[in-house]
Amino acid sequence: MTTDPDGVVRQITEIVATELSVPAEALTPDTDLRGIEGADSVRLLRVVAKVEQTWDVELDDDEVFGVSSIAALSAVVGNALRVRAA
Amino acid sequence: MSADATDAPAPDLPWSVLDDYRCFGCSPHNPHGLALAFDAHPEGLATTFRLGRSYESYPGVVHGGLLGVVADETMGNLIVVRTGLVAFTVSMRLRYVMPVSVGAEYTCVARLGAAAGGPLTSATAEILDAEGGCVVTASATYRNVPFGTARERIALSAPEAGRLDQALATPATPATPATPATNAFTRQESA
Repeated sequence: MTTDPDGVVRQITEIVATELSVPAEALTPDTDLRGIEGADSVRLLRVVAKVEQTWDVELDDDEVFGVSSIAALSAVVGNALRVRAA
Repeated sequence: MSADATDAPAPDLPWSVLDDYRCFGCSPHNPHGLALAFDAHPEGLATTFRLGRSYESYPGVVHGGLLGVVADETMGNLIVVRTGLVAFTVSMRLRYVMPVSVGAEYTCVARLGAAAGGPLTSATAEILDAEGGCVVTASATYRNVPFGTARERIALSAPEAGRLDQALATPATPATPATPATNAFTRQESA
């Protein structure tokens, strides 16, 4: 588990690739998560659940359902890590 | 995420020394309960379950509160078999990924979390469908209490309390670090 911003993006990219069954190379931080073929609400929630388990954080539902990209989700995780460390 | 149990023997709950314990989650003596049975798991503790229509919410869908019971039981028992202390639930949070179907088989796997410090222990749990897909995640914090301290909260006769105290204190069967001990006990403080 990494906590530096670039590492968080990389690890979330891997989680998205696994949960949505797409090659990580096909993803960029700005990829529209809902636009990925095969992405549905359940699979995206599994991404969120996996992210929460990986970093041991609880993400607010308002933030979770508002994110549309890996970069946005990474930012939410970064905020949660900062709050936890405060 | 694997839901495979190990070949290690299923852990016995310390309640088994009591003739008539009624834990809603794990007692075989409570006709209204879930009668969960636990298996050793490489990462912690697991229980496989199938809930019928008595536990329904929307038609065909298991009530989400019952899934909290399953997760809480599995996490709490894991902590107790690892510590030999009574574990009272302090807080628990669930994320529901998708509806859980009545009559279908699921497995809940609990793992110990990061050390919380002091008397607190954290744990996480996942409920997985038959294909290993995650349907619920849970995280919780427990307050560990020696049986002597918890005794005043628990309604037992003196002989029963003595048997349970001894069962909690009995060393577990030889186990690898990832394999639970033989005794478990949990109750929610505020349920």
